[in-house]
Amino acid sequence: MEAKKFAQVVVIGAGPGGYAAAFRAADLGKKVLLIDRDPTLGGVCLNRGCIPSKALLHIAKVIHDASSLAALGVTFGDPKIDIEAIRNYKNVIVTKMNDGIAQMARARQVETMQGNASFQSDSEIRVTCGSDTVKVTFDNCIIAGGSSSAMLPGIPVDDPGVLTSRTALDIADIPQTLLVIGGGIIGLELGQVYAALGTQVSVVEFLPHLIPGADRDLVKPLEHRLKKQFQEIRVSSKVTEVKRKKQGRLQVTIESDLDSHQETYDKILVAVGRKPNTELLNLEKTTVTMDQQGFITADAYQRTSVPNIFAIGDIIGNPMLAHKATHEGKVAAEVICGLPAVFDARAIPSVIYTHPEVAWSGLTEMEAQEQGIAYEKGEFPWAASGRGQAVGAIQGKTKILFNPNTKKTLGIGMVGPGAGDMISEGTLAIELGADAEDISLTVHPHPTLSETLAFSAEVFEGTVTDLYLPGKEKGFK
Amino acid sequence: MIKDIILPDLGEGIDAAEVSEVTVSVGDFINLDDTILVLESEKASMEIPADVTGTVQEVAVQLGDEITTGQLLFKIELSLATGEMEKMAPVGVEPGLEPEKRPSRKSINELSSPLHLGETTSTGDIFASPGVRRLSRELGVNLRAIKGTGPKSRITKNDLHDYIKIRLAIAAGGIVNHRRPDVDYSQWGAVEVQKLTKVKRITGQRLQQAWQTIPHVTQFDTADITDLDVYRKAMKKNAAEENIKVTFLPFLMKAVVRVLEEMPQFNSSLDHSGENLVLKHYYHLGVAVDTPQGLTVPVVQDVNQKSVLELSEALMDVSTRARNKKLKPDELKGGTFTISSLGGIGGTHFTPIVNPPEVAILGVSRSHWQAVYDSVADQITPRYILPFSLSYDHQVIDGAAGAAFTSRFAAILEDVEQFK
Repeated sequence: MEAKKFAQVVVIGAGPGGYAAAFRAADLGKKVLLIDRDPTLGGVCLNRGCIPSKALLHIAKVIHDASSLAALGVTFGDPKIDIEAIRNYKNVIVTKMNDGIAQMARARQVETMQGNASFQSDSEIRVTCGSDTVKVTFDNCIIAGGSSSAMLPGIPVDDPGVLTSRTALDIADIPQTLLVIGGGIIGLELGQVYAALGTQVSVVEFLPHLIPGADRDLVKPLEHRLKKQFQEIRVSSKVTEVKRKKQGRLQVTIESDLDSHQETYDKILVAVGRKPNTELLNLEKTTVTMDQQGFITADAYQRTSVPNIFAIGDIIGNPMLAHKATHEGKVAAEVICGLPAVFDARAIPSVIYTHPEVAWSGLTEMEAQEQGIAYEKGEFPWAASGRGQAVGAIQGKTKILFNPNTKKTLGIGMVGPGAGDMISEGTLAIELGADAEDISLTVHPHPTLSETLAFSAEVFEGTVTDLYLPGKEKGFK
Repeated sequence: MIKDIILPDLGEGIDAAEVSEVTVSVGDFINLDDTILVLESEKASMEIPADVTGTVQEVAVQLGDEITTGQLLFKIELSLATGEMEKMAPVGVEPGLEPEKRPSRKSINELSSPLHLGETTSTGDIFASPGVRRLSRELGVNLRAIKGTGPKSRITKNDLHDYIKIRLAIAAGGIVNHRRPDVDYSQWGAVEVQKLTKVKRITGQRLQQAWQTIPHVTQFDTADITDLDVYRKAMKKNAAEENIKVTFLPFLMKAVVRVLEEMPQFNSSLDHSGENLVLKHYYHLGVAVDTPQGLTVPVVQDVNQKSVLELSEALMDVSTRARNKKLKPDELKGGTFTISSLGGIGGTHFTPIVNPPEVAILGVSRSHWQAVYDSVADQITPRYILPFSLSYDHQVIDGAAGAAFTSRFAAILEDVEQFK
């Protein structure tokens, strides 16, 4: 006989959005059941995404920093890579975090269950794990099913030489050559990890530029670095075919407007975006509506077309970011518990954790131009910052976009080491409606890279003294 | 160098004011401390002085504009000699005006309907932090209905709390703002429409609130001030040499304070809970002054510690400055009892409205000669009689105490020795 379970709140998916939603609902007094396919909690982000990739990027950065000291008079020997130890380092971090989440779930008496959730109706889910099935009913459900790597036609998915972000993070070996298909955030981060470990990395991007969503001026310093670090970067090109050759290598056909040619690689990494995991949930049995791309439609209260079913995170659309999912998860839990929550964030920061880091929040120049939004910009090159010079970050820059009338902060962008951490000041400025002088009059510690935020605001105002800008009015704006 | 003159923080929670006079125009040369603008806020009229010397390049405000802190007023081309006199201090702040953290209460007109639950209100262009936005959802308040009192008109948590307090007062029937029918009076004859001054509008709202929330009782009485009048005239003659004008008012103030000291419940306020009476050990008397902008009530502090002559001087000073719009918002606060005197104009008795949070007010009418029968001497003599009225809050003061107050007040005025 099939087992039965009831919970006041059922959360499907234990990623950063799902566990946040589950824990918040439990803290607000609900009996919560948290379901995930994986045996461990944390979702893609913790198990095979954000966290393990950052562990590996940390190693890549130290390798690079060590070698860059040669020019400063300090030389180390060539790095010796112990792949097993690296893998272990990464796995220990992930396990530690898994255990932490499991402990927090127990402390809150959130029941966890491993299995695939499949809707039977608007009010019932069947969870299967191996041969066991459990029928689950609920007062409210939060779908936090996440996303998975998208695939391209013509690529043998099952070939062990074809990696996704998930398998790439396992670092089964360090291939001699690697082709990264997709010049977005994931492709470049992982490409840089493999390059640091000694792989010759090439990138193919379909669009004319790397990191299509970011402003060009922010991506350029990264591109500059990658051109030295990578074997080759091909834009406006696409991979049409991948074939396993007899010698054990993969033959790849790359086409552009100009030509079509073939190259061979030991491995390829497919990083062409992510798709929502809606098809796994059997949503056809429900009246939950989806858009054409397969994302569940949810309102600002995270409510789907079914009033007691909520959806959060990657599964409801872009940007597919853990920190967006976390906030949405809390909103869903609070709405369920009768609190007047709504997702009303004015900016969601995006960060590329490469070296150098690229980060932006709020309006980009590209969006402003496309949408005809008036803005004025204050920008500060890190080459003019003492700290920027001291740490060799002279390619970096900071810029802030302001409303020309109200002087309020519309958007912020940075490139350089630590940009991902410093972007939060800009996001706070947007949330608080800070204007240029609010930022410039805030005392920033010297010498830091965070000063460049205040300097950018001063450049906009004309009050900067760390640059000389001929012809610029020096009064208060 | 061109300098932008912006509206400084006026302090006392005043975040907006109406321009009642622009005293300079483009091309005018202004000196430091010249008055460049006259404003009427909810609480007072005030003159904004120039803190620079130079030529007016641009006037960015007009008569009747509602302006807020930080708004551009003028562009001034600085004259070289005084360019360096420009101070870092906020432009044009009158000395002694310290910004206060507590925002002013919102007027009822600024209120509108609350957010309906289930309605997603986009707050993208509203100047409020995420925490305030959350609180607004918890309180069910539409942020668009609120005018921020924080820096640059930011909506603060206090603004939300104040707004809610007023909503609750309205819900409890405390304040009712009747809508007046829109009538075309010109159908019966020629009319003229005159805009109410801001002071008048605000005073009107406060009077209406006081009238509706305080159960008023008014006690009438008279005092024989024949002897006091003789004494006053003698004093007046001497004081005239020092250019001090001695009216009856300082005597009345002294007499009031004497009674307040004896009957402290008249020098009190109900606390916010309505369960406690706050008795004040200081005696600051509000004196109603009629000005061209409307009624103002400057407060004379520590009346118990001042002599009649000192009070006369203080009264001349505040009433002159009230008429010239030079009163600071501070000087309109902290009163414990109010005197409204129509003695110079006429009438026998009137019923003044208590000035909350005070609990009583004295209304003084015109003194007159009257034939009074003296039963001891068995004769009729001419006496100089002062009619007055005491309105009080019946929640705090009962009728016997009210009558005791007026009797004691009259007795003090009738005994000149009390003022020597």
